[in-house]
Amino acid sequence: VNLMSYVTYVFETYFGYPRNKAEKLMLDVHTKGKAVVSHGSREEMERDTEAMHGFGLWATFEKDA
Amino acid sequence: MARAFRRKGQRFVAKFDPMEREVVTDILEQTRKIVAPADTGKPEASTGDEFDQIVASISVGRDGPADPPEDLADRDPALDRLLPVAHRGDEKVAAEFRRLTEHDLRDRKAANLTAAIEALRGATGDHLALTKEQAGAVAVALTDARLVLGERLGLRTDEDAQSLELMVRTLDPEDPVVYAASIYDFLTWMQESLTTAMLGRGRFR
Repeated sequence: VNLMSYVTYVFETYFGYPRNKAEKLMLDVHTKGKAVVSHGSREEMERDTEAMHGFGLWATFEKDA
Repeated sequence: MARAFRRKGQRFVAKFDPMEREVVTDILEQTRKIVAPADTGKPEASTGDEFDQIVASISVGRDGPADPPEDLADRDPALDRLLPVAHRGDEKVAAEFRRLTEHDLRDRKAANLTAAIEALRGATGDHLALTKEQAGAVAVALTDARLVLGERLGLRTDEDAQSLELMVRTLDPEDPVVYAASIYDFLTWMQESLTTAMLGRGRFR
């Protein structure tokens, strides 16, 4: 339900990803329902998750299997 | 009559007549009432606004969270859309995350909605000119408002949005759902227009 342009904008502004990477991740979210947008320590991932919620995106964090 | 956002120098400019702006600021205010943390939210007298009642009363095909934790059972479901579960598969981790982040997130969302409302009220005549910072605030605020209104309208997926469109055609034009759906469409159009202008041709930053 989130707009593709908005999701791209968030990935670009928050993560600092270049346009093509932001768009690729956005398309993954759009077509597969989700995308791994960030990797890092538990603390970093919690911070990113909180930031995504701040933007109104439904982010979760989990440990790599 | 609204005209889409476009970039003009360091500003994002658009046209919205006073009524259109009021419709948008109204829904942003309603959204702020829902997100503002209970302990800091000043009790506001009901405006008796038609929109209050519409947002408060609408519930289309809402079946609630599958298995809400007890203390969350009475929450406004719109809040769960704005502040979703952060960890799949581990309720304890998810609950702890919520405990640690929810208050700040709600504070920040409320403050952002205030900034967006003020930005929209700063228009002169029909002309709205947003700074980069204001544009970001409005884009996020519109997202939150669409999540709240979408929850009221039972919109979870893109398919839901399509079926709502079909349903609206069969409803009495006076039905509040028809009104709410038209506002949802307007917010969507406005946000799309703004974020497209913000993305421009290059990177936003």
